[in-house]
Amino acid sequence: MKSRTLRTITAVAVIIVVAIGFVTNFGIGTVSAVGWEDFSLLCPLGALGTMLAKQLMIPRAVISLIFAILFIIIFARAFCGWLCPVPIVQKIRNLFTKKPSKKALESQITPEADLAEKHAENGDDPKSTRTTATLDAPEKTSTLTKAEKKALKTCSTSDCSSCAEKRGKALDSRHFILGGSLLSAAIFGFPVFCVICPIGLSFGTILLVIRLFSGGDVTWSLIAIPLILIAEVVLFKKWCGKLCPLSAFMSLFGKLNVTFRPTIKDETCIETARDRECGVCAKVCPEGIDPRHPERGSAWSECTKCRACVDACPTKSIKMPLIPQKKGSSSPSESVLKTADSEGSSNN
Amino acid sequence: MSQEQNKVEQRKVSQEKTSSAADQSTDASREDKGMVSNTPPEQQTKKTYAGMSRRTLFLGLGGAAVLLGLGGLKLVNSNPLIRPPGGQIEDDLIAGCIRCEKCYEICPRNVIAPAHIEDGILTMRTPTFDFSRDYCDWCQEEEGGKPLCAKVCPTEALKLPEDATVENTIIGKAAINTDWCLAYRLIGCRFCYDACPYEAMELDDNERPYMIYDKCNGCGACESVCVSLQNGSISEGATSRAIVVHPVEIYEQMLEEGLL
Repeated sequence: MKSRTLRTITAVAVIIVVAIGFVTNFGIGTVSAVGWEDFSLLCPLGALGTMLAKQLMIPRAVISLIFAILFIIIFARAFCGWLCPVPIVQKIRNLFTKKPSKKALESQITPEADLAEKHAENGDDPKSTRTTATLDAPEKTSTLTKAEKKALKTCSTSDCSSCAEKRGKALDSRHFILGGSLLSAAIFGFPVFCVICPIGLSFGTILLVIRLFSGGDVTWSLIAIPLILIAEVVLFKKWCGKLCPLSAFMSLFGKLNVTFRPTIKDETCIETARDRECGVCAKVCPEGIDPRHPERGSAWSECTKCRACVDACPTKSIKMPLIPQKKGSSSPSESVLKTADSEGSSNN
Repeated sequence: MSQEQNKVEQRKVSQEKTSSAADQSTDASREDKGMVSNTPPEQQTKKTYAGMSRRTLFLGLGGAAVLLGLGGLKLVNSNPLIRPPGGQIEDDLIAGCIRCEKCYEICPRNVIAPAHIEDGILTMRTPTFDFSRDYCDWCQEEEGGKPLCAKVCPTEALKLPEDATVENTIIGKAAINTDWCLAYRLIGCRFCYDACPYEAMELDDNERPYMIYDKCNGCGACESVCVSLQNGSISEGATSRAIVVHPVEIYEQMLEEGLL
């Protein structure tokens, strides 16, 4: 099963479990405070907001905060990719736009990969290249293929503004909103962001619908809450990456994340093993990370562990291991960078 | 990722390959395209503010300002509401409530309900009571008198003081609207009187119920059994049941205005 389908299923499953909880008084809570009866893990932003508002340490909130940070360190922004209801709400958008057909998407990606594949098979002797590739593999960690050099030359880190502007490398608009919501909570004495949090509003809508049918609770909230929700996440298409303070929080602590990071096997990767340009993994990444050349895209802290790169890799070279491997994309890419830089300077 | 974005991505790559001398001229065109296709143009503009483009900066500052403004709405008064046990100090409840909806879910009698937007934007989705079908006896049957809502509230928005009992925690005060009450038409209805667990109601000479103010803690038993809005007993112009639990502030205001 494709990860994309799987991710939709998990997020929908979360919504269904919460809805069942509402109907049965089960006590599982929503993702804002998930848990069993009086043991709940709070949303970290809610925990911070309410503690700032009360100017008081709340034991459950502190414990929740620690758990949330641990979760983020292990899974980075996996919550966004797998559990958050907002991407499901954002699917409303698909009702109004032409469906970007999978075929079109694939045809966008595959030609190059196919080309590379064909090139490898027709132009060069496939067996020999492959064997040499595998033989050369240990050395390749330090040396560069032409394609890699080319890819890196287009973006030498020093003077290309687009690199610095990618998300997660520096503070961005989300962090302002995170700061603003916490400051506002401290000044005005209530967790301000919770009022408009789209995750809370999603579950709020479900609760209101259940109450409408089970108890005849008719209220304008039933119109207002979905409207606010849609205004936030459907009109602001880039809510998650540009505005969501929870995503900002996760990207801050996600910097400590090393587990489940997409790791490329250099022996089979088109760029390293066959010396062709590929970049499919970077193209499919919804967060703008470039797994082959991490310096070019967003920071790893943005990774939602969505496995799009794993699925898309034409040679199935990307894995997401629990423990990061020493020999991976990270160490060579740094040396790659240095060589690319030094070459650039020598050229100048 | 959409097809369009892919194209933009490719275009960007190809443009980045062009020499930096042409950057000045291509920047403008890139920005135009970026606007159309929603590609953040800050990736193409050169001037940055602490690593951010002007657009990112404004977006962030704008968002922060909106949140500060939203916080400022607290200064606008909102309607007082009846609150579940432990939520009697309004400021503490508002400071703690993150709208996690756990209290609605856990309530075994389904009497806790989210406040409506009609009650105010900031109080929307905070817990209040809906006594239309049942009332609150602090989970007497289920938990032996320890309210589950206050027990599960993760942020202590609902928090009972040590010495709190069901009698001394005043959720609100029930008030009878004598225009709508069937007993005041001498029909002999006394459902509320029979339902009251705290002997906070008595009957007058004409068998009409009236309130004993000091004994009422606002549990809602009377409201939950009131039949004044049911089929065949609709009083003209009635918008709610004839006996309703009001927040103490509202009750006292009504007393002052001579409505009771």
